[in-house]
Amino acid sequence: MEIPGEHEARERSWAVVQAAFAEREPQPRRRSWKPVAALALVLAGAAGLLSPSGRAVLDEIREVVGVERSAPALFSLPASGRLLVTGDSGAWVVEEDGSRRLLGPYADATWSPFGRYVAATRKDELAALEPDGDVRWSLPRPGARSPRWTGSATDTRIAFVTDSRLHVVGGDGTRDVDAGGGPAPAADIAPAWRPRRRFELSYLDSLHRVATFGVETSGTSWRSIAIPDAQQLTWAPDGTRLLVVGRNRLVSLRGADGTATVRRERGVTAASWAPDGRLAIVRTVRGRSEVLVDGRVRFSTAGAIDRPVWSPDGRWLVVALPQADQWVFVRASAKTGLRAVANVSSQFRSRSFPVIAGWCCLSE
Amino acid sequence: MGAGRDERAEVRAAQRGSASGIEALFRLHWPRAYRAAFLVVHDAAAAEDIAQEAFLAAVRNLDRFDRGRPFGPWLHRIVVNRAIDWTRSRQLRAEAELVDVEAPEESGPLDASLLGALAALPPEHRAVIVLRHLLDYTPGEIAELLGLPRGTVNSRLRRGLDSLKESV
Repeated sequence: MEIPGEHEARERSWAVVQAAFAEREPQPRRRSWKPVAALALVLAGAAGLLSPSGRAVLDEIREVVGVERSAPALFSLPASGRLLVTGDSGAWVVEEDGSRRLLGPYADATWSPFGRYVAATRKDELAALEPDGDVRWSLPRPGARSPRWTGSATDTRIAFVTDSRLHVVGGDGTRDVDAGGGPAPAADIAPAWRPRRRFELSYLDSLHRVATFGVETSGTSWRSIAIPDAQQLTWAPDGTRLLVVGRNRLVSLRGADGTATVRRERGVTAASWAPDGRLAIVRTVRGRSEVLVDGRVRFSTAGAIDRPVWSPDGRWLVVALPQADQWVFVRASAKTGLRAVANVSSQFRSRSFPVIAGWCCLSE
Repeated sequence: MGAGRDERAEVRAAQRGSASGIEALFRLHWPRAYRAAFLVVHDAAAAEDIAQEAFLAAVRNLDRFDRGRPFGPWLHRIVVNRAIDWTRSRQLRAEAELVDVEAPEESGPLDASLLGALAALPPEHRAVIVLRHLLDYTPGEIAELLGLPRGTVNSRLRRGLDSLKESV
Protein backbone atom coordinates (compact mmCIF):
# COMPACT_ATOMS: atom_id res chain seq x y z
CA MET A 1 0.00 0.00 0.00
CA GLU A 2 1.40 3.42 -0.91
CA ILE A 3 -0.41 6.69 -0.36
CA PRO A 4 -0.22 9.34 -3.10
CA GLY A 5 2.51 11.84 -2.25
CA GLU A 6 4.09 9.49 0.26
CA HIS A 7 7.61 9.76 -1.11
CA GLU A 8 7.58 13.56 -0.96
CA ALA A 9 6.09 13.47 2.54
CA ARG A 10 8.83 11.09 3.68
CA GLU A 11 11.62 13.30 2.36
CA ARG A 12 10.09 16.44 3.91
CA SER A 13 9.84 14.69 7.26
CA TRP A 14 13.35 13.32 6.98
CA ALA A 15 14.73 16.83 6.50
CA VAL A 16 13.03 17.94 9.72
CA VAL A 17 14.00 14.86 11.73
CA GLN A 18 17.57 15.06 10.48
CA ALA A 19 17.82 18.69 11.57
CA ALA A 20 16.35 17.88 14.98
CA PHE A 21 18.82 15.03 15.39
CA ALA A 22 21.73 17.29 14.46
CA GLU A 23 20.71 19.69 17.23
CA ARG A 24 20.43 16.96 19.82
CA GLU A 25 22.94 16.94 22.62
CA PRO A 26 23.77 13.34 23.53
CA GLN A 27 23.91 12.35 27.21
CA PRO A 28 25.65 12.65 29.54
CA ARG A 29 25.55 16.40 29.61
CA ARG A 30 28.26 18.25 31.41
CA ARG A 31 27.20 20.86 33.90
CA SER A 32 28.02 24.37 32.91
CA TRP A 33 27.76 27.55 34.92
CA LYS A 34 27.47 29.70 31.82
CA PRO A 35 23.69 29.35 31.42
CA VAL A 36 23.32 30.13 35.12
CA ALA A 37 25.39 33.26 34.69
CA ALA A 38 23.32 34.30 31.69
CA LEU A 39 20.12 33.68 33.63
CA ALA A 40 21.43 35.72 36.52
CA LEU A 41 22.10 38.57 34.13
CA VAL A 42 18.57 38.40 32.75
CA LEU A 43 17.07 38.22 36.22
CA ALA A 44 19.18 41.14 37.28
CA GLY A 45 17.82 43.06 34.31
CA ALA A 46 14.23 42.16 35.13
CA ALA A 47 14.68 43.06 38.77
CA GLY A 48 16.16 46.36 37.79
CA LEU A 49 13.25 47.25 35.58
CA LEU A 50 10.68 46.32 38.18
CA SER A 51 12.06 47.64 41.46
CA PRO A 52 11.91 51.29 42.58
CA SER A 53 15.66 51.48 42.75
CA GLY A 54 15.96 49.87 39.36
CA ARG A 55 17.66 52.77 37.66
CA ALA A 56 20.94 52.26 39.50
CA VAL A 57 20.95 48.56 38.73
CA LEU A 58 20.04 49.31 35.14
CA ASP A 59 22.98 51.64 34.83
CA GLU A 60 25.28 48.90 36.07
CA ILE A 61 23.87 46.44 33.58
CA ARG A 62 24.14 48.97 30.79
CA GLU A 63 27.84 49.14 31.41
CA VAL A 64 27.97 45.41 30.82
CA VAL A 65 25.51 44.91 27.99
CA GLY A 66 25.13 48.24 26.23
CA VAL A 67 27.15 50.53 24.02
CA GLU A 68 29.29 52.73 26.23
CA ARG A 69 29.10 55.91 24.20
CA SER A 70 25.48 56.66 23.49
CA ALA A 71 23.45 59.78 22.84
CA PRO A 72 21.07 60.63 25.70
CA ALA A 73 18.16 60.99 23.25
CA LEU A 74 17.26 60.36 19.63
CA PHE A 75 18.26 63.55 17.81
CA SER A 76 18.16 62.25 14.24
CA LEU A 77 18.02 59.10 12.12
CA PRO A 78 21.16 58.17 10.17
CA ALA A 79 19.16 57.55 6.97
CA SER A 80 16.05 58.98 5.38
CA GLY A 81 12.58 57.79 6.31
CA ARG A 82 10.45 57.63 9.44
CA LEU A 83 10.32 55.09 12.24
CA LEU A 84 7.11 53.56 13.52
CA VAL A 85 7.36 52.59 17.19
CA THR A 86 4.94 50.98 19.64
CA GLY A 87 5.11 50.96 23.42
CA ASP A 88 2.85 51.09 26.47
CA SER A 89 1.75 54.62 25.64
CA GLY A 90 0.78 53.74 22.07
CA ALA A 91 2.07 54.04 18.50
CA TRP A 92 4.58 56.76 17.63
CA VAL A 93 6.06 58.16 14.44
CA VAL A 94 9.66 59.37 14.62
CA GLU A 95 10.70 61.83 11.95
CA GLU A 96 14.17 61.96 10.39
CA ASP A 97 15.11 64.87 12.66
CA GLY A 98 14.25 62.82 15.76
CA SER A 99 10.95 64.55 16.55
CA ARG A 100 8.24 62.23 17.80
CA ARG A 101 4.47 62.20 17.49
CA LEU A 102 2.08 59.98 19.43
CA LEU A 103 -0.61 58.60 17.09
CA GLY A 104 -2.81 57.17 19.83
CA PRO A 105 -3.08 54.27 22.25
CA TYR A 106 -2.43 51.50 19.73
CA ALA A 107 -0.61 48.28 20.58
CA ASP A 108 0.56 47.14 17.14
CA ALA A 109 1.16 49.08 13.94
CA THR A 110 2.49 48.84 10.39
CA TRP A 111 3.27 51.25 7.57
CA SER A 112 1.23 51.31 4.37
CA PRO A 113 3.34 50.32 1.32
CA PHE A 114 4.51 53.89 0.62
CA GLY A 115 4.43 55.17 4.17
CA ARG A 116 1.47 57.48 3.61
CA TYR A 117 -0.64 55.83 6.30
CA VAL A 118 -0.35 53.59 9.31
CA ALA A 119 -2.58 50.61 10.12
CA ALA A 120 -2.81 50.11 13.87
CA THR A 121 -4.67 47.86 16.26
CA ARG A 122 -5.80 48.13 19.83
CA LYS A 123 -8.21 46.06 21.84
CA ASP A 124 -11.12 45.25 19.53
CA GLU A 125 -10.24 47.75 16.79
CA LEU A 126 -8.30 48.06 13.52
CA ALA A 127 -7.71 51.63 12.33
CA ALA A 128 -6.02 53.41 9.44
CA LEU A 129 -4.29 56.62 10.45
CA GLU A 130 -2.53 59.55 8.87
CA PRO A 131 1.04 59.89 10.14
CA ASP A 132 -0.14 62.95 12.09
CA GLY A 133 -2.61 60.79 14.02
CA ASP A 134 -5.87 61.60 12.19
CA VAL A 135 -8.05 58.52 11.91
CA ARG A 136 -9.08 57.76 8.30
CA TRP A 137 -11.32 54.85 9.23
CA SER A 138 -11.66 52.19 11.89
CA LEU A 139 -13.28 48.78 12.18
CA PRO A 140 -14.46 47.15 15.41
CA ARG A 141 -12.89 43.68 15.44
CA PRO A 142 -12.48 41.74 18.71
CA GLY A 143 -8.88 40.77 19.39
CA ALA A 144 -7.48 42.48 16.26
CA ARG A 145 -3.67 42.37 16.07
CA SER A 146 -0.61 41.93 13.81
CA PRO A 147 -1.70 44.16 10.89
CA ARG A 148 0.37 43.93 7.70
CA TRP A 149 -0.27 46.25 4.74
CA THR A 150 0.66 45.62 1.09
CA GLY A 151 -0.23 46.73 -2.42
CA SER A 152 0.38 49.30 -5.12
CA ALA A 153 -0.18 53.04 -5.13
CA THR A 154 -3.81 52.50 -6.15
CA ASP A 155 -4.90 49.19 -4.62
CA THR A 156 -3.93 47.87 -1.20
CA ARG A 157 -4.94 45.22 1.32
CA ILE A 158 -4.38 44.88 5.07
CA ALA A 159 -4.06 41.43 6.62
CA PHE A 160 -4.67 41.10 10.34
CA VAL A 161 -5.46 38.44 12.88
CA THR A 162 -8.27 38.06 15.40
CA ASP A 163 -8.64 35.32 17.99
CA SER A 164 -9.95 32.77 15.53
CA ARG A 165 -9.53 34.17 12.06
CA LEU A 166 -7.16 35.62 9.52
CA HIS A 167 -8.73 38.71 7.96
CA VAL A 168 -7.97 40.70 4.83
CA VAL A 169 -9.55 44.12 4.35
CA GLY A 170 -9.22 46.68 1.57
CA GLY A 171 -7.01 49.69 2.19
CA ASP A 172 -10.14 51.82 2.38
CA GLY A 173 -11.53 49.69 5.21
CA THR A 174 -14.15 47.90 3.11
CA ARG A 175 -14.59 44.25 2.10
CA ASP A 176 -13.29 42.64 5.28
CA VAL A 177 -13.23 38.88 4.63
CA ASP A 178 -12.18 35.78 6.51
CA ALA A 179 -9.16 34.63 4.58
CA GLY A 180 -7.34 31.35 4.25
CA GLY A 181 -10.30 29.00 4.66
CA GLY A 182 -8.22 26.58 6.72
CA PRO A 183 -7.21 26.16 10.33
CA ALA A 184 -7.06 29.27 12.52
CA PRO A 185 -3.84 31.32 12.52
CA ALA A 186 -1.27 30.75 15.24
CA ALA A 187 -1.71 33.24 18.05
CA ASP A 188 1.45 35.33 17.98
CA ILE A 189 2.98 35.04 14.53
CA ALA A 190 2.20 37.87 12.11
CA PRO A 191 1.15 36.96 8.56
CA ALA A 192 3.50 37.92 5.70
CA TRP A 193 2.61 39.25 2.25
CA ARG A 194 4.58 37.76 -0.62
CA PRO A 195 6.46 40.49 -2.50
CA ARG A 196 6.02 40.88 -6.24
CA ARG A 197 2.81 38.87 -6.26
CA ARG A 198 -0.64 40.34 -6.32
CA PHE A 199 -2.05 39.86 -2.84
CA GLU A 200 -0.51 36.50 -1.99
CA LEU A 201 -0.42 35.93 1.76
CA SER A 202 1.36 33.46 4.04
CA TYR A 203 0.46 32.67 7.62
CA LEU A 204 1.27 30.08 10.24
CA ASP A 205 -1.78 28.05 11.19
CA SER A 206 -2.60 26.48 14.53
CA LEU A 207 -1.26 23.15 13.23
CA HIS A 208 2.15 24.85 12.82
CA ARG A 209 2.05 24.74 9.02
CA VAL A 210 2.64 27.74 6.78
CA ALA A 211 -0.21 28.22 4.30
CA THR A 212 0.22 30.48 1.28
CA PHE A 213 -2.73 31.56 -0.84
CA GLY A 214 -3.90 34.21 -3.26
CA VAL A 215 -6.40 36.50 -1.60
CA GLU A 216 -8.14 37.21 -4.91
CA THR A 217 -8.25 33.55 -5.94
CA SER A 218 -9.83 30.56 -4.24
CA GLY A 219 -7.86 27.71 -2.70
CA THR A 220 -4.48 27.36 -1.07
CA SER A 221 -1.34 27.62 -3.19
CA TRP A 222 0.61 25.39 -0.83
CA ARG A 223 0.90 24.31 2.75
CA SER A 224 4.28 23.55 4.28
CA ILE A 225 5.50 20.85 6.60
CA ALA A 226 4.70 21.42 10.25
CA ILE A 227 7.21 23.80 11.85
CA PRO A 228 6.35 23.59 15.55
CA ASP A 229 9.13 25.97 16.60
CA ALA A 230 8.28 28.76 14.12
CA GLN A 231 8.74 32.22 15.62
CA GLN A 232 8.69 34.55 12.62
CA LEU A 233 7.79 34.53 8.90
CA THR A 234 9.62 36.81 6.49
CA TRP A 235 9.56 36.79 2.68
CA ALA A 236 12.68 37.51 0.65
CA PRO A 237 12.12 40.78 -1.24
CA ASP A 238 12.12 38.99 -4.60
CA GLY A 239 9.36 36.64 -3.41
CA THR A 240 11.30 33.48 -4.21
CA ARG A 241 11.44 32.12 -0.67
CA LEU A 242 9.85 32.51 2.70
CA LEU A 243 12.16 32.27 5.66
CA VAL A 244 10.80 30.81 8.89
CA VAL A 245 12.84 31.49 12.01
CA GLY A 246 12.74 28.45 14.26
CA ARG A 247 14.61 27.39 17.35
CA ASN A 248 18.26 26.95 16.37
CA ARG A 249 17.33 26.73 12.70
CA LEU A 250 16.14 28.64 9.67
CA VAL A 251 13.60 26.92 7.46
CA SER A 252 13.50 28.22 3.90
CA LEU A 253 10.26 27.51 2.03
CA ARG A 254 10.40 27.70 -1.76
CA GLY A 255 7.97 30.31 -3.01
CA ALA A 256 6.67 28.15 -5.84
CA ASP A 257 5.58 25.11 -3.84
CA GLY A 258 6.62 25.45 -0.19
CA THR A 259 9.37 22.84 -0.35
CA ALA A 260 11.41 23.18 2.84
CA THR A 261 15.15 23.44 3.25
CA VAL A 262 16.44 23.44 6.80
CA ARG A 263 19.62 25.22 7.86
CA ARG A 264 20.96 24.83 11.34
CA GLU A 265 21.65 28.23 12.92
CA ARG A 266 22.44 27.92 16.58
CA GLY A 267 20.82 30.53 18.80
CA VAL A 268 18.98 32.35 16.00
CA THR A 269 16.14 34.53 17.30
CA ALA A 270 15.19 36.83 14.42
CA ALA A 271 15.81 37.60 10.75
CA SER A 272 15.20 40.55 8.47
CA TRP A 273 15.69 41.05 4.71
CA ALA A 274 17.21 44.22 3.30
CA PRO A 275 15.46 45.73 0.27
CA ASP A 276 18.29 44.42 -1.93
CA GLY A 277 18.05 40.83 -0.61
CA ARG A 278 20.79 40.77 2.05
CA LEU A 279 19.77 38.87 5.14
CA ALA A 280 20.36 40.06 8.69
CA ILE A 281 19.94 37.60 11.52
CA VAL A 282 20.23 37.89 15.28
CA ARG A 283 21.62 35.01 17.25
CA THR A 284 22.32 34.55 20.93
CA VAL A 285 24.89 32.04 22.06
CA ARG A 286 26.07 31.67 25.65
CA GLY A 287 24.47 34.96 26.70
CA ARG A 288 26.09 37.00 23.93
CA SER A 289 24.06 38.29 21.00
CA GLU A 290 25.26 39.08 17.49
CA VAL A 291 23.83 40.76 14.42
CA LEU A 292 25.10 39.17 11.22
CA VAL A 293 24.56 40.45 7.70
CA ASP A 294 25.00 37.73 5.10
CA GLY A 295 26.98 35.73 7.64
CA ARG A 296 29.35 38.48 8.81
CA VAL A 297 29.14 39.85 12.32
CA ARG A 298 28.28 43.55 12.32
CA PHE A 299 27.49 44.07 15.99
CA SER A 300 27.68 42.01 19.16
CA THR A 301 26.86 42.61 22.79
CA ALA A 302 26.11 40.82 26.03
CA GLY A 303 22.37 40.42 26.63
CA ALA A 304 19.49 40.21 24.21
CA ILE A 305 18.90 41.97 20.89
CA ASP A 306 15.41 42.45 19.44
CA ARG A 307 14.44 41.92 15.81
CA PRO A 308 16.54 44.15 13.50
CA VAL A 309 14.89 46.67 11.18
CA TRP A 310 16.53 47.87 7.95
CA SER A 311 16.61 51.47 6.82
CA PRO A 312 14.74 52.03 3.53
CA ASP A 313 18.03 52.50 1.65
CA GLY A 314 19.49 49.27 3.07
CA ARG A 315 22.58 50.99 4.51
CA TRP A 316 21.67 50.84 8.19
CA LEU A 317 20.04 48.50 10.64
CA VAL A 318 18.49 49.52 13.91
CA VAL A 319 18.53 46.99 16.71
CA ALA A 320 17.06 47.26 20.18
CA LEU A 321 18.88 46.33 23.40
CA PRO A 322 16.09 46.09 25.98
CA GLN A 323 18.37 45.36 28.94
CA ALA A 324 20.49 48.42 28.22
CA ASP A 325 17.43 50.55 27.31
CA GLN A 326 19.23 51.46 24.09
CA TRP A 327 18.74 51.46 20.35
CA VAL A 328 21.83 50.95 18.23
CA PHE A 329 22.04 51.99 14.59
CA VAL A 330 24.47 49.64 12.86
CA ARG A 331 26.06 50.30 9.50
CA ALA A 332 25.27 47.23 7.38
CA SER A 333 28.44 47.18 5.32
CA ALA A 334 31.06 47.79 8.00
CA LYS A 335 31.79 46.83 11.56
CA THR A 336 32.43 50.44 12.51
CA GLY A 337 29.99 53.32 12.55
CA LEU A 338 27.67 52.49 15.43
CA ARG A 339 25.26 55.10 16.74
CA ALA A 340 23.67 54.31 20.06
CA VAL A 341 20.74 56.08 21.71
CA ALA A 342 20.06 55.70 25.44
CA ASN A 343 16.96 56.17 27.61
CA VAL A 344 14.65 54.84 24.91
CA SER A 345 11.77 53.79 27.18
CA SER A 346 11.38 57.19 28.80
CA GLN A 347 11.44 58.92 25.40
CA PHE A 348 8.33 56.96 24.46
CA ARG A 349 6.75 57.11 27.95
CA SER A 350 6.80 53.34 28.08
CA ARG A 351 7.36 51.02 31.04
CA SER A 352 8.12 48.10 28.73
CA PHE A 353 10.78 48.46 26.07
CA PRO A 354 9.37 50.02 22.86
CA VAL A 355 9.19 47.92 19.68
CA ILE A 356 10.41 49.29 16.34
CA ALA A 357 7.58 48.31 13.99
CA GLY A 358 9.03 49.70 10.76
CA TRP A 359 11.30 52.20 9.02
CA CYS A 360 9.71 53.71 5.96
CA CYS A 361 10.17 54.94 3.22
CA LEU A 362 12.44 56.49 0.60
CA SER A 363 11.13 59.80 -0.72
CA GLU A 364 9.03 59.33 -3.85
CA MET B 1 15.40 -12.07 15.33
CA GLY B 2 18.11 -10.74 13.02
CA ALA B 3 16.00 -7.71 12.23
CA GLY B 4 15.51 -7.08 15.95
CA ARG B 5 19.27 -7.21 16.53
CA ASP B 6 19.82 -4.83 13.60
CA GLU B 7 17.27 -2.44 15.00
CA ARG B 8 18.88 -2.49 18.44
CA ALA B 9 22.23 -1.77 16.81
CA GLU B 10 20.72 1.19 14.97
CA VAL B 11 19.16 2.51 18.20
CA ARG B 12 22.55 2.21 19.94
CA ALA B 13 24.25 3.98 17.06
CA ALA B 14 21.68 6.78 17.09
CA GLN B 15 22.08 7.17 20.84
CA ARG B 16 25.81 7.64 20.27
CA GLY B 17 25.00 10.39 17.76
CA SER B 18 25.30 8.45 14.52
CA ALA B 19 23.33 10.10 11.72
CA SER B 20 23.27 6.85 9.76
CA GLY B 21 21.71 5.13 12.78
CA ILE B 22 18.79 7.55 12.99
CA GLU B 23 18.38 7.48 9.20
CA ALA B 24 18.15 3.69 9.22
CA LEU B 25 15.45 3.83 11.90
CA PHE B 26 13.61 6.52 9.99
CA ARG B 27 13.70 4.66 6.67
CA LEU B 28 12.61 1.43 8.35
CA HIS B 29 9.72 2.78 10.38
CA TRP B 30 8.43 5.94 8.76
CA PRO B 31 6.34 4.32 5.96
CA ARG B 32 4.29 2.19 8.32
CA ALA B 33 3.94 5.02 10.82
CA TYR B 34 2.72 7.38 8.08
CA ARG B 35 0.31 4.86 6.57
CA ALA B 36 -1.11 3.94 9.96
CA ALA B 37 -1.67 7.62 10.73
CA PHE B 38 -3.25 8.17 7.32
CA LEU B 39 -5.69 5.31 7.74
CA VAL B 40 -6.83 6.72 11.07
CA VAL B 41 -7.01 10.43 10.18
CA HIS B 42 -7.73 10.28 6.39
CA ASP B 43 -5.78 13.45 5.79
CA ALA B 44 -2.37 13.21 4.15
CA ALA B 45 -1.02 16.45 5.61
CA ALA B 46 -2.14 15.54 9.11
CA ALA B 47 -0.68 12.04 8.74
CA GLU B 48 2.62 13.60 7.69
CA ASP B 49 2.57 15.87 10.73
CA ILE B 50 1.71 13.02 13.08
CA ALA B 51 4.42 10.68 11.78
CA GLN B 52 6.94 13.53 11.81
CA GLU B 53 6.06 14.54 15.36
CA ALA B 54 6.35 10.94 16.50
CA PHE B 55 9.88 10.79 15.12
CA LEU B 56 10.75 14.14 16.67
CA ALA B 57 9.51 12.75 20.00
CA ALA B 58 11.72 9.73 19.40
CA VAL B 59 14.74 11.97 18.78
CA ARG B 60 14.02 14.00 21.92
CA ASN B 61 13.71 10.88 24.06
CA LEU B 62 16.41 8.81 22.43
CA ASP B 63 18.72 8.87 25.42
CA ARG B 64 15.99 7.56 27.70
CA PHE B 65 14.90 4.82 25.33
CA ASP B 66 15.28 1.30 26.72
CA ARG B 67 17.40 -0.56 24.18
CA GLY B 68 15.99 -3.85 25.36
CA ARG B 69 12.59 -2.98 23.91
CA PRO B 70 11.65 -2.86 20.23
CA PHE B 71 11.51 0.60 18.65
CA GLY B 72 8.53 0.01 16.33
CA PRO B 73 5.76 -0.56 18.90
CA TRP B 74 6.95 2.43 20.90
CA LEU B 75 6.72 4.64 17.81
CA HIS B 76 3.40 3.18 16.67
CA ARG B 77 1.90 3.82 20.07
CA ILE B 78 2.73 7.51 19.76
CA VAL B 79 1.43 7.63 16.19
CA VAL B 80 -1.87 5.92 16.83
CA ASN B 81 -2.64 7.82 20.02
CA ARG B 82 -1.92 11.13 18.31
CA ALA B 83 -3.99 10.12 15.31
CA ILE B 84 -6.94 9.29 17.55
CA ASP B 85 -6.57 12.63 19.36
CA TRP B 86 -6.34 14.47 16.07
CA THR B 87 -9.46 12.78 14.71
CA ARG B 88 -11.45 13.54 17.83
CA SER B 89 -10.47 17.21 17.75
CA ARG B 90 -11.19 17.32 14.02
CA GLN B 91 -14.69 16.03 14.65
CA LEU B 92 -15.24 18.81 17.15
CA ARG B 93 -14.09 21.40 14.60
CA ALA B 94 -15.53 19.70 11.52
CA GLU B 95 -17.48 22.70 10.32
CA ALA B 96 -14.55 25.10 10.53
CA GLU B 97 -12.09 22.85 8.80
CA LEU B 98 -14.16 21.07 6.22
CA VAL B 99 -12.23 22.70 3.40
CA ASP B 100 -8.98 21.30 4.71
CA VAL B 101 -9.92 17.61 4.41
CA GLU B 102 -7.99 15.89 1.67
CA ALA B 103 -9.54 12.95 -0.10
CA PRO B 104 -7.13 10.30 -1.39
CA GLU B 105 -6.70 10.27 -5.14
CA GLU B 106 -8.85 7.79 -7.00
CA SER B 107 -6.02 6.14 -8.86
CA GLY B 108 -3.45 4.04 -7.09
CA PRO B 109 -3.44 0.97 -4.96
CA LEU B 110 -5.80 2.24 -2.25
CA ASP B 111 -9.31 0.86 -2.31
CA ALA B 112 -11.52 3.95 -2.15
CA SER B 113 -14.60 2.11 -0.90
CA LEU B 114 -12.62 0.46 1.88
CA LEU B 115 -11.09 3.79 2.85
CA GLY B 116 -14.51 5.38 2.91
CA ALA B 117 -15.88 2.62 5.10
CA LEU B 118 -12.89 2.88 7.41
CA ALA B 119 -13.39 6.63 7.67
CA ALA B 120 -16.96 6.06 8.82
CA LEU B 121 -15.79 4.12 11.88
CA PRO B 122 -15.13 5.83 15.22
CA PRO B 123 -11.43 6.68 15.52
CA GLU B 124 -10.86 4.15 18.32
CA HIS B 125 -12.17 1.35 16.09
CA ARG B 126 -10.12 2.56 13.15
CA ALA B 127 -7.00 2.52 15.29
CA VAL B 128 -7.32 -1.09 16.43
CA ILE B 129 -8.10 -2.26 12.88
CA VAL B 130 -5.06 -0.43 11.52
CA LEU B 131 -2.84 -1.83 14.26
CA ARG B 132 -4.16 -5.36 13.73
CA HIS B 133 -4.40 -5.54 9.95
CA LEU B 134 -1.82 -3.05 8.69
CA LEU B 135 0.83 -3.27 11.37
CA ASP B 136 0.15 -6.92 12.26
CA TYR B 137 0.04 -6.54 16.02
CA THR B 138 -1.77 -9.21 18.03
CA PRO B 139 -4.79 -8.19 20.11
CA GLY B 140 -2.65 -8.62 23.21
CA GLU B 141 0.02 -6.29 21.86
CA ILE B 142 -2.62 -3.75 20.83
CA ALA B 143 -4.07 -3.85 24.33
CA GLU B 144 -0.64 -3.12 25.73
CA LEU B 145 0.10 -0.40 23.19
CA LEU B 146 -3.14 1.50 23.77
CA GLY B 147 -3.48 0.72 27.46
CA LEU B 148 -6.81 -1.04 26.98
CA PRO B 149 -8.25 -4.30 28.33
CA ARG B 150 -7.83 -7.09 25.83
CA GLY B 151 -11.58 -7.68 25.75
CA THR B 152 -12.12 -4.07 24.64
CA VAL B 153 -9.63 -4.53 21.82
CA ASN B 154 -11.37 -7.70 20.69
CA SER B 155 -14.81 -6.14 20.76
CA ARG B 156 -13.63 -3.07 18.85
CA LEU B 157 -12.01 -5.30 16.26
CA ARG B 158 -15.16 -7.38 15.90
CA ARG B 159 -17.52 -4.43 15.68
CA GLY B 160 -15.21 -2.56 13.34
CA LEU B 161 -14.89 -5.47 10.96
CA ASP B 162 -18.63 -6.06 11.03
CA SER B 163 -19.22 -2.45 10.02
CA LEU B 164 -16.65 -2.69 7.25
CA LYS B 165 -18.27 -5.84 5.87
CA GLU B 166 -21.65 -4.12 5.74
CA SER B 167 -20.24 -1.06 3.99
CA VAL B 168 -17.98 -2.60 1.37
